Amino acid sequence: MLKKKKGTSGNAVQYVTRNQALKKLQLKLSEFRRLCILKGIHPREPKKKPQGQNKTYYHVKDIAYLLHEPLLKKARELYAYEKKVRRARAKKNRDLAARLAARKPSYRLDHLVRERYPSFVDALRDLDDPLTLVHLFAVLPAEKAHGIPAPAVQLARRLALEWQAWVVRSHALRKAFISVKGYYFQAEVQGQAVTWLVPHATSQVLPPDVDYKVMLTFLEFYSTLLQFVNYKLYHSLGLRYPPVLDPKLEQAAVGLEALMQDLASSGSGAAAAAPRQLAAAAAEDAEEGGVNPAAQQRLGSLADKVRELEEEIRGERPRGAAAAAADAQQAGSEDGSASEEEEAAEEEGFEIDSGDEGEDTEEEEEEADSGSDEEEEQAAADDPEDADLAAAGAAAGEASDDEGEQAEEEEEDGQQLAGGAADVDADDDAGVCASLFKGLVFFLGREVPREQLLLIIRAFGGEAGWDGEGSPLAEGDERITHQVVDRPTQGHRFLSREYVQPQWVFDSANFRVLARPPLYAPGKAPPPHLSPFVRGEEEGYVPEYGRQLAALQEAARAARKRRAAAARGGDVFVGEEEEGGEGGAAALTAEEEAEAAEARYAAELAKELKKSGAAAGEESEEEEAAAPAPKKRRVSGEDELQMDEQQMKDIMMTRKARKMYQGLQKSRAAKQARVAALEQRAAALKQ
Amino acid sequence: MSGKRSARGGAKQAELLAAQQAPEGLDDAELALSSDEEYESGEEDSELGLSGSGSDAEDSEEEEENGRPRSSGVDREIENAALAYMAAVQKRQQRGQASGSGSDSEEEDERESDADEEPAAAARGGGGGELAAGSEGRDEEEGEEDEDEERPQHDDPASDSSEDERAPRNTVGQVPLEWYQDEEHIGYDVEGHKLEKRGRRDRLERHISKQDSLAKEMRTVYDEYNDEEIELSKEEMRMIQRIRQGQFPHVEVNPFEPEVDWFTRDVEVMPLSAAPEPKRRFIPSKWEEKKVVKLVRALRKGWIKREQEPEKPAAYLLWEDDGRTADKTATGLTYIPAPKLKLPGHEESYNPPAEYLPTEEEKNAAQLLDEEERPQFVPTAYDSLRRVPAYASFIKERFERCLDLYLCPRTRRKRLIIEDPEVLVPKLPKPKDLQPFPVSLAVRYSGHIKAVRSLSPDPTGQWLLSGSDDGSVRLWEVRTGRCMRTWQLEEPVACVAWCPSSQLSLAAAACGKRLFLLPTGTGNEEQEAATEAALQQALAASGSSGSGSIEEGQLVSWQRWQGGGSGSGSGSGSSDGVVVLHRFPLKYVTWHGRGDYFATVAPTGNTQAVLVHQLSKGASQNPFRKNRGRVVRVLFHPAKPFFFVATQQNVRVYNLAKQALARKLVAGSGVITSMALHPSGDHLIVGSEDKRLCWFDLDLSTKPYRSLRYHQYAVRGTAFHRSYPLFASASDDATVHIFHGMVYSDLMTNPLIVPVKILRGHEMVDFQGCLDVAFHPTQPWAFTAGADASINLYVNP
Repeated sequence: MLKKKKGTSGNAVQYVTRNQALKKLQLKLSEFRRLCILKGIHPREPKKKPQGQNKTYYHVKDIAYLLHEPLLKKARELYAYEKKVRRARAKKNRDLAARLAARKPSYRLDHLVRERYPSFVDALRDLDDPLTLVHLFAVLPAEKAHGIPAPAVQLARRLALEWQAWVVRSHALRKAFISVKGYYFQAEVQGQAVTWLVPHATSQVLPPDVDYKVMLTFLEFYSTLLQFVNYKLYHSLGLRYPPVLDPKLEQAAVGLEALMQDLASSGSGAAAAAPRQLAAAAAEDAEEGGVNPAAQQRLGSLADKVRELEEEIRGERPRGAAAAAADAQQAGSEDGSASEEEEAAEEEGFEIDSGDEGEDTEEEEEEADSGSDEEEEQAAADDPEDADLAAAGAAAGEASDDEGEQAEEEEEDGQQLAGGAADVDADDDAGVCASLFKGLVFFLGREVPREQLLLIIRAFGGEAGWDGEGSPLAEGDERITHQVVDRPTQGHRFLSREYVQPQWVFDSANFRVLARPPLYAPGKAPPPHLSPFVRGEEEGYVPEYGRQLAALQEAARAARKRRAAAARGGDVFVGEEEEGGEGGAAALTAEEEAEAAEARYAAELAKELKKSGAAAGEESEEEEAAAPAPKKRRVSGEDELQMDEQQMKDIMMTRKARKMYQGLQKSRAAKQARVAALEQRAAALKQ
Repeated sequence: MSGKRSARGGAKQAELLAAQQAPEGLDDAELALSSDEEYESGEEDSELGLSGSGSDAEDSEEEEENGRPRSSGVDREIENAALAYMAAVQKRQQRGQASGSGSDSEEEDERESDADEEPAAAARGGGGGELAAGSEGRDEEEGEEDEDEERPQHDDPASDSSEDERAPRNTVGQVPLEWYQDEEHIGYDVEGHKLEKRGRRDRLERHISKQDSLAKEMRTVYDEYNDEEIELSKEEMRMIQRIRQGQFPHVEVNPFEPEVDWFTRDVEVMPLSAAPEPKRRFIPSKWEEKKVVKLVRALRKGWIKREQEPEKPAAYLLWEDDGRTADKTATGLTYIPAPKLKLPGHEESYNPPAEYLPTEEEKNAAQLLDEEERPQFVPTAYDSLRRVPAYASFIKERFERCLDLYLCPRTRRKRLIIEDPEVLVPKLPKPKDLQPFPVSLAVRYSGHIKAVRSLSPDPTGQWLLSGSDDGSVRLWEVRTGRCMRTWQLEEPVACVAWCPSSQLSLAAAACGKRLFLLPTGTGNEEQEAATEAALQQALAASGSSGSGSIEEGQLVSWQRWQGGGSGSGSGSGSSDGVVVLHRFPLKYVTWHGRGDYFATVAPTGNTQAVLVHQLSKGASQNPFRKNRGRVVRVLFHPAKPFFFVATQQNVRVYNLAKQALARKLVAGSGVITSMALHPSGDHLIVGSEDKRLCWFDLDLSTKPYRSLRYHQYAVRGTAFHRSYPLFASASDDATVHIFHGMVYSDLMTNPLIVPVKILRGHEMVDFQGCLDVAFHPTQPWAFTAGADASINLYVNP
């Protein structure tokens, strides 16, 4: 047999070092880096490193893939073109230089997005980093010293707002957290949890030891990716993309609201809103004239189409534009939101998508269905007469329900906790999220982070106004149920509303329950803010306030279930179980009640555990789980026995299993130690 | 055109003249001025030359006003000059009419006044300069007019013909006229004489003259500078009026004359230029052609685009799919997504629970640490959201993440996520269910002074024999722990072995180079007798000389030994043993199951390392010509004619019947120290110095079925129980591990090995702990021999 020559197969030919790659591609390192970032090519770790240990290896296929990249050719062309411009400039041929510079060829990264993310879910899985970087650049100054171009910053800002608007619109937000680093948000998009981090709204200091070119290259790709993702998301909701930003509101730094207005008009009520806006524009030049000419122009062209369609479908005789406008104007002059919704409901079916008309009829139908469902809820909640109290959501629900009137007083508490989501199935997390703040109207002080709070409040179904330009509500509005302030003292107080710190919104949203507002009163140190990303059972330790909130959550859950049962008209078993506990609890103070709820929660947990154990027939395991605790507290002789037993168990394990086992034991012990330390500290702090 | 040319010539002439006549005190300015028209100047020259400096200013003025030079008696030349002058005047008038500039006379006038005031400057500028100024036109003149406003009015709109000849009369110098207000004179004449002020007529006089002729008086203006009154003619008045009305001063000037376009496209009979048409007019331009070709090519190839391409929208529907994920990239390589960042815990909160905050001590301790060891993130609490500052390293962290994304090699590691580590522990029956096995210490046999090397219980289980480093072999009663008998053998006893034959009460002890066959005296009389007989027979058969040494050519020498033994037993001193002298120090002795054969091991014996002796014949033989490696242990198979020889590295199994190597077992471990055979003869355990115990299934493989490593020091002894499924290993770490070792008769089922008990009870002495272990032949009991000179018996509960 011939002896195989060295370096002709295996890792030696499958992997190349970075320098080899550079040579092959005939690129400078910076160009190569840029290309790698855009193409998403990363080094790999071969099992054997034929060229040495401390070298970076790329797969040979990756490099070959780069070699055929059209972008590479484009980059070379661009380089040559720039040379032309330089030459013209050097020869003082200003005309030519200007002409060339104006006609500079551009390049696009669309194909890269498609290549790297063949399906939409792939893109969603990798969305964390793009979103965080885009949100960062949205607040960075466009500094020439660092080469951050203003258009990039503007685009980042727009994309961030678009994303947030979509999250609000689809009620996809699940978790929010105020960290020292910034605000964490988590949304659920097509079953993928997408987490992003938004920096605090203070000015960022640009560190000098950061290569902004690298970050900008990433940003370039990420903004392209995000544009397509946003398009897809908007498309799936039947919205037009890109949405038009209201420059006036944008200037007032309202941000999200600037977009939401457009979405509101172009979304479910696109057909209705368009002519109305037209009419409004005609009628009230003073008000509407300055709002957004671009949007109106687009909407204007849309309106014609809408009308045509209307006529086609209804078979009515053609109405003049003036008549339509007059109609719309009339509608506009009536009570704002309710009439808008009505009209939207009427013309739900004739939704227009500027992207592709009449393509996804099924989707539209679905949309229409869900829209009409939402419609009713919205109509109920938006009715200003109903929504006057703190427990607006509950009240609104009750008013519409016959059974609700007979509800006991104890139930009210649970209802109150459940917020606007009292009617929603307790197991339907998305539904609970979408309507938690339904019926609540917030007013944000000027000192609170407006954009973040608007995002949460509106994503969870609430309404909000703020202290500043463009607010839909004035501070003195009667409908306001909660005022979010962050100041040491609150001067004038309206008795009809709760005054809470911003943390209340976050905590309530995270635990899907309306937390107790008195704890978050302005000027008071709020209860600890807990991370929603920590799962108690995994961590092994749940802080005191976490347990209290969990108890509240349980109560809200029970209330939701009870309502569901009542709506079904069946026996209220779930409710009755709870009622015993809650009847007593209602009389107690909030603290005691929390404790009671906690006890209830624990008892239920135990019950459930038993049930599941019995069902599965794994009582022996349960015994085992329960057994270790007493075993530990024995005399030293027994201890030795225990050790021996352990040692003997080790003997029969393979070495690999033993090492793994020991590692696991070690980590488990470390965790336990950590939990024990925390518990101990908490106990010490309590005293 | 021609006028200009002539003017230039005139300038030259004027310069020449100036150079000639400067000594005569001629005014340069006048010269320069007059050079505007050569004929004029020529005439003046002549005039000057004629009249000389002696003529009065007044007179000359009068003469000039008359319009004719007073040349009554002049020579021919002068006459010619005068004629020429006349012609020039005429021509100039014509020109004035053509150009429409009109105010020639004024120009002249002004120029003259300039010259009057600044003779020196004019001289410096030279005639050409002044000329240029004159020919440039109105701009200059306007500027001059401005200057004139400051100066005393010096209007002399008399006919151009007269003023041109007027000589300067007054040289005031460049001072305002007011300075002469109180003086008797006004300025000086050319010669420097004071010019007397004639004085203006007073009002009365003027009134009278007005009465005389109003019209004339109204037309009279007073020239302050020259101190004279000037009467304007009617023509001049008309001219002034026309000027005031913004019209041309001269009536005859037509400003709207039809323009004659000399250069037209009409080909005239007489062309303006007589040059022939150049050739380039008739051939196509090569340069242009090149340019056109270039453009055409660029258009064809699409380098130049005439219309802007419609730009693709920034975003469109890129994915129309169903949400299926693809795990292969375009390269065909597996897609490795970057790991997501860790989600924040409670400690990262802006207001974490108090128990997550570090205490003061912890903070201080962290300060003392190195910067690298210091925790990256310290939980901090802010009492309200508005107090939370910007996170300083936000950008830095994002940047590092970016670096990680494109710089870090990615690999896909398979990671077993084990919720419950207990799944890793093999499911074994509980030791409780595998009883009986020795658990608790029952008897401690003490009497030896030094480490006990070897143990051997008798087949009935009543007695126990032990050999120690102190040179003694002791016989113990198992149940009571009494030492029944002691043999002092002077040298450390390496091994003792009880003869398994039930007819004999005999034991073998290896001690130095001698092997003792000791009648233990524990049997009944029958056995005692049989033992005595057997020993006698062996001695007789061996034909020993009793010389006390090994003869040449003999492997060993069998001899009677009368050391006897001391003890409290019944048969003390009754029996003499047999000693088999060897050439090499013995380490081990073992009996065949029937009790007739026994084998000795002398590891240093090279070719004579293993000797097999037959008691009944008193014979010894060396079965191996050569041993590969140092032999440590040998064993007889209990039923079959197999012989196990353990060298330091491996175990060889010989078929004694066939006299061939049957199998070679490779433990793959360190130096083998001990070996034990399962009663069935199919399983072998081997202990080694590298703390390992190997279980060989002889039917299965030459490799160990299980290799267990649980001792902390070398394994010293191993043992199988004869009837219970138990085996044990003793180690230098002073522990004995008892295992449940169930062997199934079913060949398909692997032996079940379960550790059941760890026996502790010995102490380590000089890094030696337990040196031997042996099971009770009938009970689930274990004897252990320790380096601490004690022997323990562990029994089941």
